[in-house]
Amino acid sequence: MEKKLIQFKNIVKEFDGKLVLKGINLDIYENEFVTLLGPSGCGKTTLLRILGGFLTQNEGQVLFDGEEISTVPPYKREINTVFQKYALFPHMNVYNNIAFGLKIKKEPKDVIEQKVKRMLKLVNLEEYAERAVTEMSGGQQQRVAIARALVNEPSVLLLDEPLGALDLKLRQEMQHELKKIQQEVGITFIYVTHDQEEALTMSDKIVVMKDGEIQQIGTPTDIYNEPVNEFVANFIGESNIIEGVMLEDYKVVFEGRRFVCVDQGFGKNEIVDVVIRPEDLDIVPRGEGKLKGVVKSVLFKGVHYETMVETKVGTEITVKMQVSDDRPVFNEAANEKMSANDFYLDVEDVEELDDATIIARADAQAWNPDEDEFISIKEVSYTIEKQNGTYPVTFSTAAGTSVTVNMIVKDENRVTSTENEEEIFAVNFFKKADEIQESIALETDLKTWANASAWSLEDGTAVDISDVKYTFDPEHITPGVYDVTFATKGYEYKVDTTDKYEVGDEVGLMFQPEDIHIMAKTQ
Amino acid sequence: MRQFRNMIYPYAAWTAVMIVLPMLMILLYAFTKAGNDVTTFRFTLENFARFFQDAVFLDVLKRSLVIAVVTTIVCVLLGYPIAYVIASGPEKSRVFWILMITLPTWINMLVRTYAWVGILQDDGLLNRIFALFGLGPFHMMYTTFAVVLGMVYNFIPFMILQIHTSLAKMDKSLLEAASDLGANRVQSFLRVTLPLSLPGVLSGITLVFLPAVSSFFIPKLLGGGQYVLIGNVIETQFLTSGDWNFGSAISLIMAVIIMVSMYLTRKVDTDPAANGRRE
Repeated sequence: MEKKLIQFKNIVKEFDGKLVLKGINLDIYENEFVTLLGPSGCGKTTLLRILGGFLTQNEGQVLFDGEEISTVPPYKREINTVFQKYALFPHMNVYNNIAFGLKIKKEPKDVIEQKVKRMLKLVNLEEYAERAVTEMSGGQQQRVAIARALVNEPSVLLLDEPLGALDLKLRQEMQHELKKIQQEVGITFIYVTHDQEEALTMSDKIVVMKDGEIQQIGTPTDIYNEPVNEFVANFIGESNIIEGVMLEDYKVVFEGRRFVCVDQGFGKNEIVDVVIRPEDLDIVPRGEGKLKGVVKSVLFKGVHYETMVETKVGTEITVKMQVSDDRPVFNEAANEKMSANDFYLDVEDVEELDDATIIARADAQAWNPDEDEFISIKEVSYTIEKQNGTYPVTFSTAAGTSVTVNMIVKDENRVTSTENEEEIFAVNFFKKADEIQESIALETDLKTWANASAWSLEDGTAVDISDVKYTFDPEHITPGVYDVTFATKGYEYKVDTTDKYEVGDEVGLMFQPEDIHIMAKTQ
Repeated sequence: MRQFRNMIYPYAAWTAVMIVLPMLMILLYAFTKAGNDVTTFRFTLENFARFFQDAVFLDVLKRSLVIAVVTTIVCVLLGYPIAYVIASGPEKSRVFWILMITLPTWINMLVRTYAWVGILQDDGLLNRIFALFGLGPFHMMYTTFAVVLGMVYNFIPFMILQIHTSLAKMDKSLLEAASDLGANRVQSFLRVTLPLSLPGVLSGITLVFLPAVSSFFIPKLLGGGQYVLIGNVIETQFLTSGDWNFGSAISLIMAVIIMVSMYLTRKVDTDPAANGRRE
């Protein structure tokens, strides 16, 4: 493990002016199983292809055994590749596929036969030498591809997402087999994948990449336990990430409480991300936990339950929905139907009002009842002033069908929660009973009708409204006034539990100082 | 699907009238004597005997086959590199070149062949160009060269398209794999590209050989009256001599030769042993 076999020095690669690799520096040692891990488009395959010789970097050097190899063509490199879709030669049988490299090197026939036989044994395909590769299963083709590469006794084997096309069970089997093969032949494996489980299972060293940059290099345990940033923490396994403040070494504050941790070296009062893995959290009786919360949801995951515990509720707003059973206007002469609703406006909205906004807020529609085709609204006529009051607006089509509804300007209907540094906004609204009954995505529609939105007071970014609560039965709604509540998500912790908890249970959360991992905040 | 079943009937009727019936007529004519009427058929093998016993006809048959084989070989040798270069270009240039190659086939074959007469004549375009350099004139019209040239010109698009298709659909990662395993460009070509493009070459051969062996107006225009191929013989029997029975028999002989050659080509193409055999 001590000798540097491959060195990437400041590798930059661009395609059509887009930077795919932004200066990669990476050393790979002899006999290592190195995994390049990252989401698709992070540049991991590009890096592998540069090493294989199929691409040339725009800047930087690739050293192999201390020598620059950037200008060496692929066929002269002591490197073999297992391609993503195997790239087996369809016109050759298994034997000839594996023997390909040896035949090119013009090795004697008996030597070829011996080596191929050994490889077939290594990958457990002894019976299949004469089989056409096109008649083999994905897993078998995979093994042929590995044998075809290994038979050339390369000092490095490159594997480009080789298990991507296999089903879960086969993939797990092959993971063990690959690791076994690597230990047996004792050469460097460089493995590209987006699957964190694969990376954790097989690697000696994991290189986590994102957007053409290396995020973290380390052993699987390092990377899992001490991710350097939010991206790595989320990409490697699941985690709860909470914002906190590092008071001093070994002391962190989050959710308004002080906790002892094992991390140090951060600035005094530095704002940090706190990571707690779901499997490190325990659910305990409410009084005994370090945090208190309510069970929000429970998902069965096979070996455990994934239990979401909310420790702090989100910001909420409740608006009134006035339901009427008005029928659409029917213009028999033109065979057109038309409908629209009254709606509320803020005083400050009046200035920016235009026809499109009015049509959207009133949900004005005209259609042909026979063909069920929409007809465009040609005219929107209204007068409005910048003060509270009720203003009629008339929508009409080219054929003369028209509907008049009221725009009601009244004071803001907005709540702010300073505790969570969030603001949520929504307005009361009018709706027809049949529109509620016919809605196919009622929660989304309710958000649209109420013009509901939420944002962070810190930086103004949008906050997802995750909860829409109502008590009416949408299928059988009758005219009247109903409450609709919109809420953002509070602080939630994902907890892996073996016991099943019920939604609504009041529980405590327990963890130890070493379960808390502190990361520098990423912007 | 069921409701579309009935739509096959017009097609079946069309096929019966326009394809099957004429074939049966040829079969009937080939095995009968002249002077049939609807009620009496006089069956005979005389037509076939006449063909195989006459050295002149056998000579013509031989010459036709030789010309067709030469044309096919030239088409492969010329068409493969062209198809290869086109297929290795980027998508946009591929579309452009394929269009360029198919473009001439939108114009009537006869017209295009007439154009060659103008080019190849003793005082034609080529000889005038040669004259500028003090060469020639060369006599090119009414020679084997002219006939083969005309055929290659007319039929090579089929060859290029077939080979191009098989090259273009080849997985490019196979070439990377070959290179990865130590093969240089020549070795990659010989061991991967060429064998994988053979099906395209074979269907190209079929598509060139068939029209080449039975073509009659190319030898007529570019070979002159004296350059007779089997297609011309058949044409003469039907249009000049009026011996439909003999003409039908020769057509039938040609059909059998073509069927046999197609069968052989397909056998090479799909032979599973070719896949599995160890070298």
